[in-house]
Amino acid sequence: MPPADSNGAALTVSEVAVRFGGVAALTNASLRVEPGIVTGLIGPNGAGKTTLFNVISGLQAPDRGTVHLFDVDVTDLRPNRRARLGLARTFQRLELFGSLSAGDNVRVGVESSLEWWRWQHLRRLVPGFGNGRTGGSGEDRDGSVADRCRHLLARVGLSGHGHDHASAMATGSARMVELARALAIRPKLLLLDEPGSGLDDAESQALGSLLVDLAEAGMAVLLVEHDMELVMRVCTHIYVLDFGDIIAEGPPEEIRADPRVQAAYLGAAHQTDLAGGG
Amino acid sequence: MSSFIQYTVFGVMLGAGYAIAATGLVVTYSTSGVFNFAQGAVGMIAAFCYWELVVANGLPVLAALLIVLVPGAILAGALVERVFMRRLHGASAERPVLVTLGLMVILTGLATEIWSPSVSRVVPDMVSGQFGLAGINIQYQEVLLIGIAAATAVGLRLFFTRTRTGFGLRAVVDDPDLLAMSGASPNRMSQLGWALGFFMAALAGVLLAPTQTTGVSIPAMTLLVVNSYAAAIVGRLRNIPATFLAAIGIGLAENYVISYILPHVAQSLVPDITLSLPMVFLFIALVTLPSVRIRAIGRLTTARPPRVVSGRESFVAGVVFLAVAALLAAVFDNTPFRGTTVLTLGGVVMTLGIVALSLVLLTGYSGQVSLCQFSFMGIGAFVMGKVAGGGSLLGLVAATLICAAAGALVALPTIRLRDLYLALATFAFADAVYNGFFLDTHIYGSGGVSVGRIVLPGLSFGGDAAEFLLVTVCFVLCAWLVLAVRRSMFGRRLVAVNDSPAAYATVGLNIGITKVTVFAIAAGMAGLAGALYGTVQQVVGYSDFDFFFGIIFVLFVTIWSIRSVSGAFLGALTYTVLNQWSPNAFGLFAGIGILLIGRAAGGILGLDTLQLTLPWTRQPASDVDVVGVAEVALDGAVLGSGSRAAG
Repeated sequence: MPPADSNGAALTVSEVAVRFGGVAALTNASLRVEPGIVTGLIGPNGAGKTTLFNVISGLQAPDRGTVHLFDVDVTDLRPNRRARLGLARTFQRLELFGSLSAGDNVRVGVESSLEWWRWQHLRRLVPGFGNGRTGGSGEDRDGSVADRCRHLLARVGLSGHGHDHASAMATGSARMVELARALAIRPKLLLLDEPGSGLDDAESQALGSLLVDLAEAGMAVLLVEHDMELVMRVCTHIYVLDFGDIIAEGPPEEIRADPRVQAAYLGAAHQTDLAGGG
Repeated sequence: MSSFIQYTVFGVMLGAGYAIAATGLVVTYSTSGVFNFAQGAVGMIAAFCYWELVVANGLPVLAALLIVLVPGAILAGALVERVFMRRLHGASAERPVLVTLGLMVILTGLATEIWSPSVSRVVPDMVSGQFGLAGINIQYQEVLLIGIAAATAVGLRLFFTRTRTGFGLRAVVDDPDLLAMSGASPNRMSQLGWALGFFMAALAGVLLAPTQTTGVSIPAMTLLVVNSYAAAIVGRLRNIPATFLAAIGIGLAENYVISYILPHVAQSLVPDITLSLPMVFLFIALVTLPSVRIRAIGRLTTARPPRVVSGRESFVAGVVFLAVAALLAAVFDNTPFRGTTVLTLGGVVMTLGIVALSLVLLTGYSGQVSLCQFSFMGIGAFVMGKVAGGGSLLGLVAATLICAAAGALVALPTIRLRDLYLALATFAFADAVYNGFFLDTHIYGSGGVSVGRIVLPGLSFGGDAAEFLLVTVCFVLCAWLVLAVRRSMFGRRLVAVNDSPAAYATVGLNIGITKVTVFAIAAGMAGLAGALYGTVQQVVGYSDFDFFFGIIFVLFVTIWSIRSVSGAFLGALTYTVLNQWSPNAFGLFAGIGILLIGRAAGGILGLDTLQLTLPWTRQPASDVDVVGVAEVALDGAVLGSGSRAAG
């Protein structure tokens, strides 16, 4: 997909290829993510979904192909520069700040746009100076930052868990802390790598509603998820990745009916008769 | 022309020695993930053992060589891996650096106890004599060394490509988890890697020892292989042929510089240049490395971090500390002790405490290792002594700023790289500053640098007690600052960048800027500490900022807890007390302590119920396995797509 088509898209990935030694993780992946909807990215284990996320967020340089964020070519930009353009992500394998509390994890995100060397932040180093009476453990009384952290944790269903130690949290909750931290940087494009694993049914429902709300507010969301029920419910458009290549795309009902997708994704055990076409 | 060939042969010989040591480093690193800082010390011990057998006991050369290498080095390597290194699996990144440094300190400490430095020990060439070739004289020893290095290279090549075990070792290099899945034991391979690494270190040590024509010395032999670090880095710690070639290149470059350039520079600069060469090579190697990818590692810190101390708590603790210090100042005013006074030693503890606080900020919070804080201290003391007559506030400020700038310069080349390379850069910097600056009598003065006591309008700190109280107040202020930083936005960032660089970058924060900034701040603090140290001692010399002592100091702080202010103070106190008690053996305490405390990130203060995890305590296997399984899952995923694609 040439970048010329990317007008209005939050993300355009064009013909990306990545090899690890002799192994091709992505052969020719192209996709487009629009603002205002949840886009799904599905595929069997090892299809290259996480590698594609790493290429989009800048943790992996592609051997070939380009990545555009909001019409800006970011292929050579570092991850932090891409985040500044409005990209946030979560990780399949948790990447929490394990020595910090859940609240402080989110707070690092909230504060990421602030510069610590400014006087209004530096003066808080001296207890009792300015409005920074450093009272409890690591807590300062800066209303707006603390309020936003509380609000974000509440939004992912973790009200009152701000002081929980991040590395001691259950996987499902920890994933929600990552989501809150990603939202903390006010992203325009959100990449979610299996946010639903480790969640129970009610939590998964709540996550789905949250994603729909975020999209309705104008955010572009790209969701990698194994919970097909969740994907089919919240996604407007779905890409199917297999062997490092996009093999199908379309609305959920089309994808559900696509025999190639069934063969590749829904399990060879029940689809052996279709496997030859995959 | 003939002299060129002569220099070339000698350079290749030096390089061959480095190549053997560097290859050993690569084998150990790639099989166990641990960079062995003790590689040089192993070579040094081997050289001394060899001297003991051949010169002192008259054993035949070949027999001595076999004894030192085969049962000696190989068994020692396997044992060290089993007892100390295997426990480091899953520990935080800075642990292996500190543990191998501990090993280095133990080996040098033991060597000092066994082989008194006052005796000259010349290791004879294994084969004497020379032959003429194209008008030049070539020593048989040179031919032997080059031959052994070539044989080692060929032997390793055959071992890695022709034997099953060699395949296994290569598999560990490429992917330990896949190797584990294939049923081989990464632990066995790692043990073999250490045995091989020790063997090659010992071989290099024994072969290079005769080049020390005035006799082998413990520090010189230990640091002789710093050049091999640069070679291993050019090989990116993985590529043995590249490492080998780089080592030969470094040997040549070193000998050409010594032979062609040094005769044309001022005599006073000769030792500076010679001794700084390893660092120059290391920095060149570091700069040539490509940036490493920020990896999503999926590591979750499991060690309980120390509680974040509130402003009120730290204020109260600081005031109590000052009150106790004031009491001590009153009781011990002008009390002599071993040629100095009790309060002077107390002042030393406080200033070293500030250096330790800089380590809390740097290593404890952000996970970076610096082995050159004593270098910044020495530079700080020098600046203090030279600026405005040696007792001014301006000197303190200048010492802090100059050291902060120097710190930024040391850290800059390595910010794109893994933290290990920063540790290596600081190691080389410390070595170079010590040899080229502190030891240079033209710069640092033969009698040291005089630093006066601080003079403030209306205040004099000339007295014993007043000076002690002044540095104590400075220590408390620095402690408050470090704790306040931890509570601040910057402190959260330091902890975050250590916990997950990938997440740190993807929330829009710049890893490099954060790391360089904290390194510069820590260097500035060490510079301030050095300036204050100067005002306490009034005259400072090279022995105050000894390179090895700087490493021992880091170990003492780590043993107590490099993550807490209390650990910093106790580390400085223990260091000073044990140094007074036994300057020769106190390194041994540090080394043994760090090996005992092993993987416990929080040091003694961080241990639950203060129970030591002794080497023979069984570690829960789950740590390793969870990490391993997760990585297998990821790598398996990548491989899965490839193998299916291929099919």
